[in-house]
Amino acid sequence: MFNKLINDSASKSPWLYHINSGSCNGCDIELVACLTPRYDAERFGFKLAGTPRHADIVVVSGPVTSQSKERLIRTLAQVPEPKCVVSLGSCPKSGNVFKGSYSVEAPLDDYCHVDVSVAGCTPKPEAIMEGLYKAALILKEKREAMHK
Amino acid sequence: MIILRSLFYILIFPGALFTACFGLFLTGVDRKVVARMQHRIGPPLRQPMYDFFKLLGKETIIPHAANKIAFLGAPIIGFVSLALIMLFIPVGGLTAFSGNADMIVILYLITIPGVALIVGGSSSGSPYAGIGISREMVTMMAYELPFVLVLLAVARKAGGSELAFSMEKVAEWQAANGNMLFQWSMIPAAIAMLLVVPAEVGTQPFDVAEAETEICEGPLIEYSGSALGMFKLNTAMKMFVMSGLFVSLFLGGIRTGFAVCDVIVFILLCIVVTIICMSTTHAVTARLKIEHLFKFYWTFVAGMALCSLILVWCGL
Ligand code: SF4
Repeated sequence: MFNKLINDSASKSPWLYHINSGSCNGCDIELVACLTPRYDAERFGFKLAGTPRHADIVVVSGPVTSQSKERLIRTLAQVPEPKCVVSLGSCPKSGNVFKGSYSVEAPLDDYCHVDVSVAGCTPKPEAIMEGLYKAALILKEKREAMHK
Repeated sequence: MIILRSLFYILIFPGALFTACFGLFLTGVDRKVVARMQHRIGPPLRQPMYDFFKLLGKETIIPHAANKIAFLGAPIIGFVSLALIMLFIPVGGLTAFSGNADMIVILYLITIPGVALIVGGSSSGSPYAGIGISREMVTMMAYELPFVLVLLAVARKAGGSELAFSMEKVAEWQAANGNMLFQWSMIPAAIAMLLVVPAEVGTQPFDVAEAETEICEGPLIEYSGSALGMFKLNTAMKMFVMSGLFVSLFLGGIRTGFAVCDVIVFILLCIVVTIICMSTTHAVTARLKIEHLFKFYWTFVAGMALCSLILVWCGL
């Protein structure tokens, strides 16, 4: 019973940690817009955490610049299991308009497993919310797989 | 029989289980009310419950630099001391343990969760935690002085010529003479206590120690999994304990004749106090700087409490 309670809670209180890996700030603003009164992501239990140790879902925006790559990998390693990685915007997916630049090491899935990818430049807050909600459901599956 | 009864008091009502469950519920009410004030729908009332159980199911990472025993022991110590405080506060008509100097015991026990936070933070070995614990210490010093003055004023008022440090006596006095809150000489003390409560719990304008936007949650920065869950539970319990303390000091001694009704009245009053002094201030203010917080408590709040103390000492 106790285990079931924990499994059910896994998808109902996903805390977000946001990493900016060289984003143009467009996606970051839209992510914050999700938390404002208009869209109110807190009604699903989403909360912005201050440190990667508290996070369940890591939201990565930006095209992974050479400067931020190492920090990104180190930060992702600090997040306790079960965790989900959401790539926000077209930048981490393909490099977007920065593709081909000498300082951009674009696709994020070269460095970690990406669970949900929200495309768009910038994605709408509705799309971001849907992506985050899917990530929350994946979180529950991962937790169930961890404790069979 | 006595042992069984004491165990029931300590573990179930009004000790650990009741305090934990109702504390989490109170946090849910707080979050919902803040959300409604900001024109949001807000999380469901049982959201803190989900948060707590989710954190129990996460991996607990212990950093290399951390001292393992202090790191994992600190949240447990905080939990135990908070569950103990509840035994000395009259819930409705029921005080689990009462003696001659309850207030002094409460005063000592209530600093322990703060100290546990300091111990846990300093054992985690993070520089952000270092800044957090120094701020936590300053906050503790800031609210401790007005808190002691308020308790002295209440004790003198209830005791007449001598000091009555027993919560039971305070409740009896209020049952006989009307609530402390409506004695005009006690109104400044009540306002001071209303301001001490959010600082003790660490909610919005006074959450300098755990400022997540500037120092990444301060002492909690390295915590994860069930240890973090325990700290979140401690904060929730502190919310209940402090509002319960306010209710029993200033609005105690309400007797309806039925034990269950008394408990329900106590619980409703706790919710009202939480909404007034924590949710409202959270919704309308932004975080203070640490030096402003210290100055505010040692001038305005302590002044209010001192004012009451002098009035009471003059026999008003
Ligand atoms: S996807 Fe577009 S808006 Fe988002 S970071 Fe990239 S360029 Fe900026």
